[in-house]
Amino acid sequence: MAVVGIPILEDLYPVTMDMWPLESKEFNRIWPFYENLKQGRFTTTKCKDCGFVAYPPRVICPECYSENLEYIDLPTKGKIIVFSEEVKGVPLGFESPLIHAVIDLGVDPVRRVLSRIVNCPAGVLKQGDEVQLAVFPVPAFPIEKGKAGTIMAERVFFAFEPVKK
Amino acid sequence: MARKAVILAGGQCKWGVREAHIVDLFQEAAKACLDDIPTLKPKDIDGLIVATSYAGRCSFQVNTAPVVAERCGLKPTSICTRCDTLCAGGSTGIILAKGLVEAGAADIVMVAGGEKLYTPQKWEVFYSELASVDHDWDGAQGMGLPPPFFALTAQEHMMHYGTKKEQLAAVSVANYNYAADNPVAQMQKKLTLEEAMSAPIVVPPLTLYDCCPITDGAAACIITTDEIAKKFTDRPLVYIRGTAQVCLNSVSANFPGAHLADWKHTRIAAQKAYERAKVTPNDVKVAQTHDCFSISEVIEVEELGFCKKGEGGEFCGSKQIEIGGKVPVNTDGGLLAVGHPFGATGIRQAIEIMKQLQGRARHQVKDADIGLTHNLSGANAEHTILIYGREPVK
Repeated sequence: MAVVGIPILEDLYPVTMDMWPLESKEFNRIWPFYENLKQGRFTTTKCKDCGFVAYPPRVICPECYSENLEYIDLPTKGKIIVFSEEVKGVPLGFESPLIHAVIDLGVDPVRRVLSRIVNCPAGVLKQGDEVQLAVFPVPAFPIEKGKAGTIMAERVFFAFEPVKK
Repeated sequence: MARKAVILAGGQCKWGVREAHIVDLFQEAAKACLDDIPTLKPKDIDGLIVATSYAGRCSFQVNTAPVVAERCGLKPTSICTRCDTLCAGGSTGIILAKGLVEAGAADIVMVAGGEKLYTPQKWEVFYSELASVDHDWDGAQGMGLPPPFFALTAQEHMMHYGTKKEQLAAVSVANYNYAADNPVAQMQKKLTLEEAMSAPIVVPPLTLYDCCPITDGAAACIITTDEIAKKFTDRPLVYIRGTAQVCLNSVSANFPGAHLADWKHTRIAAQKAYERAKVTPNDVKVAQTHDCFSISEVIEVEELGFCKKGEGGEFCGSKQIEIGGKVPVNTDGGLLAVGHPFGATGIRQAIEIMKQLQGRARHQVKDADIGLTHNLSGANAEHTILIYGREPVK
């Protein structure tokens, strides 16, 4: 489908308009984070030399600059510290209600993660409510692979959702 | 004699929803700047620092400095570059210009900031805000547009310190009333507490007047040394006494405070800037702080040391930010009412402090000799402070 005003962009993918990360290994060295997400795991990197756990994941340890890192699991359940609900004027790409919360996952460095809360109507959330990781598909993006043609890189992303009582 | 940086002159174009290209706005600002110092000609300017963040997205133009230089008739021979620290770009440019002129690497530098944010279809600027925060982490969580982040901040301030909505509204009222007679402000109307309190909800507890608008605009100022400045002006010199820029995190999960209303990075920036300027918070007679939201100003007056931590609501609600109060803040109307074209804001603040310290501000603070500007940028990821004075640091 053509882009209004710019017909040359018909069927082309503008990465500068992509709201999701380029998660595939061709474009991102922390691709294991996203592969782990696909398995329902919320992970980050830990330095095998100095033990420092960084969030988000890195390709070097920000404390000792070692490249000797491993992926470790973070908790997938936490509690709401504070939240906001946006009902009107939700920006393009997100649905109303757009709910954000600061979540305590109980361990450093994820004691105050700011995340979207999905699968939750407006007006029901309370401080202290338990939430859990929610992984959902987001649109795949095309990568040109020379003679092999173009492949579609499948993607997921994450938010948190209320734990059903 | 050590070279000491001063702000010599400055001007801004009309801010608001502008029927203009970004390069038009920069030309208007450059003219407003040189109109403020008729003895200075474009050929005298040997350096240009351009502060813009959205030119790349909303005007499809990167490497903006040569574009601005050419359109404004400048032919820099010392420096011609762009800096991008979003909401703090203008202040960053001034810090860089100070260093260059004091080091002798440049003599007369124009720092010009501007943005053209209103695109033919409005969705695009809002959508582009996904790039204003850490894109892959906070942007993808829908934190691009800042009201939710500052709504959470306001909630935590209310939870921890008992701040009231009326105290947030008092900031909006003060800043709108400062801007009511400012001909270049986006919002030129008086605001009452009743109007502020009954305004439409944006994200609770923030309502319409708690949030700064989207703004097209540009501003420019001239940074040089005191000895050079004396050749061009008889006005009192306004020295850049001390500066600091502090960045401790980018992704919101690594926010450095104990909670979102605890701005440790602002405190560190303030301490560094006060030390370098050899002044204390009690010396500051007037300040331009980053009131992107009313709650921001409430927290800033605390973290800058104008009142105790947690008492910002009371400070703002009891008219201490107004003329006659302890520290008049955002005396030209601030971001809330003058508007916020990101790269231009720090320059607008510097111009207002320059005018205050020269005794020619529209809402003049009596005997103002020390003034301060402050910016936050991104998802509260960086803080930038400059302290100006009628005398240099000795």
